[in-house]
Amino acid sequence: MPEATAHSIAPLGITRDRLATFVIWSAALLVTGLFLWLISDILLGGITRLSWAFLTEPPFDAGRSGGIGPIIVSTGLILLVAIAASVPPALGTAILLAEFSRRESLFGRSVRLSLDVLAGVPSIVFGLFGNAFFCIYLGLGFSILSGGLTLACMVLPILIRTAEEGLRSAPDDYRLAAAALGLSRSAALMHLLLPTAMPALIAGLMLGIGRAMAETAALIFTSGYVDRMPDSLWDSGRALSVHIYDLTMNVAGGDANARAAALVLVVLLLLVNGAAMTLADRWRNARIVTA
Amino acid sequence: MQSSISPLQRMAGRTKQPLNRMHGTCEGVPVTKKLIFIVFLLLAAWLSWTLWSTPPASSTTRKLVLTGSSTVAPLAAEIGRRFETLHPDVRVDVQTGGSSRGVNDARAGLADIGMASRALKTSEEDLYSFTIALDGISIIVNRSNPAAALSRQQIIEIYTGAITNWREVGGRDAPITVVNKAEGHSTLELFLHHFGLQNRAVKPQVIIGDNQQGIKTVAGNPNAIGYVSIGSAEYEAGHGTPIKLLPLEGVQASVENVRNGSFPLARPLNLVTQSEPAGIVRDFIEFARSEQVRELVEAQYFVPLAR
Repeated sequence: MPEATAHSIAPLGITRDRLATFVIWSAALLVTGLFLWLISDILLGGITRLSWAFLTEPPFDAGRSGGIGPIIVSTGLILLVAIAASVPPALGTAILLAEFSRRESLFGRSVRLSLDVLAGVPSIVFGLFGNAFFCIYLGLGFSILSGGLTLACMVLPILIRTAEEGLRSAPDDYRLAAAALGLSRSAALMHLLLPTAMPALIAGLMLGIGRAMAETAALIFTSGYVDRMPDSLWDSGRALSVHIYDLTMNVAGGDANARAAALVLVVLLLLVNGAAMTLADRWRNARIVTA
Repeated sequence: MQSSISPLQRMAGRTKQPLNRMHGTCEGVPVTKKLIFIVFLLLAAWLSWTLWSTPPASSTTRKLVLTGSSTVAPLAAEIGRRFETLHPDVRVDVQTGGSSRGVNDARAGLADIGMASRALKTSEEDLYSFTIALDGISIIVNRSNPAAALSRQQIIEIYTGAITNWREVGGRDAPITVVNKAEGHSTLELFLHHFGLQNRAVKPQVIIGDNQQGIKTVAGNPNAIGYVSIGSAEYEAGHGTPIKLLPLEGVQASVENVRNGSFPLARPLNLVTQSEPAGIVRDFIEFARSEQVRELVEAQYFVPLAR
């Protein structure tokens, strides 16, 4: 009797398994295929225009010729301002939420809810807010500073939520052991909890940087459209994504340079990601005792 | 206060030592840490330096801010670049956002000069406008579309949804994809005004922002109809993009016909100021209207002013 049931089930189970294998494989192939298609499209379209001169020269003829030197610098500055302005408050809020307040407390829940709502706000709304608040109300005008601060507001929810989850994932044993060893809470944070949460912190930072670098809508009304080399953070500076958008959607004959600029954007993102990951690995290995 | 902090600090200091010694294998630790610290210090120093040093620097150079039409912006930026080489103490900052924004910013004083790709309306006659170039708006369809010409009435009926199939106007049997411009763009206002339409009455399938987006939408959809700036449409059609410029009321849509004034749907590209221009603003406007920028205007596929 048991043999009979095993016989009757087996073929069905095998076909079901095969079907599942097929579905999973095709889903994976589809995703990788799409990614490869996108990358190769950008590569093929952009690589011919790419040169040292393209990376360093200012754009000419509305971006149809010339390079993207000042635009790379502006993008970097906007990103630096955004990171410098968002990481410290994000880390502080995450530590407060994860280490100094209960998960179910009213305070924690309301902060978390508002962060989740903020994370879902479309970027154009942040752009309009940034324009009204930083550019006009605070009088910063169209500037790299306005753009960076607007992006900081935009990535803050992502940073806080991922950092909080990272801190929460550190086992409570660590905290107990640290307390047993007479470590102060700050020492435990610095030497144990933050290094343990480092992968999550970096992942959140990467998400944030990715979102910031790809941002167009929030920047066109804050950091602006000027493609000159910025002298200071008070100057307007065009971000790479704004440049790509303008070349593809507003300038006739700008497609070739738009693709080259898109290639630069993708490579920059990969570089930033790689650098952050190696840095995080080193830091974690250096800090944490049990690795 | 002092006494309450120092034991904490001492404790932190004490605990640091054994922890570091515990994983003494990592020789590179202090170096990496120092490096990161130095990088952050340099960054902070540089940031604060730029923050503090700029206000005096900005007072020596005069900044000229232009905002408005995305159609005019690339041209204004090019003119600005040339103007800067002649006036090293002036910086010309060009921002986009649409003609309505240009007019509003000029009126509110947020911009020294607004850019508008249309003539001023009657409600805007308190402002001063200066034409720097001409442009036309052309109806475009996909190159594979057999429809050769559309009458004024047919265009109105297509855009209001009375005609929904190309068969009714001499094309193949396929539904029409109506491409309309987003609010705030003067291309939309001019188109509506020319055909006596209300935007509420238009039944679009696709709404686009800037010119190239319209061209790409029509190039990628054999049954789409849209309207864009003649200059860029002519350029794209001449460079292999599969679009076709339809004649309007019997006049071929071309830069040449905008130049000679025969094309019915032409528009001026204007610089707008709140008051009688003076000083550097007047210099810039005069420069933008002068013979010195003629080839810049042509390079952006617009029509220079007649002399």
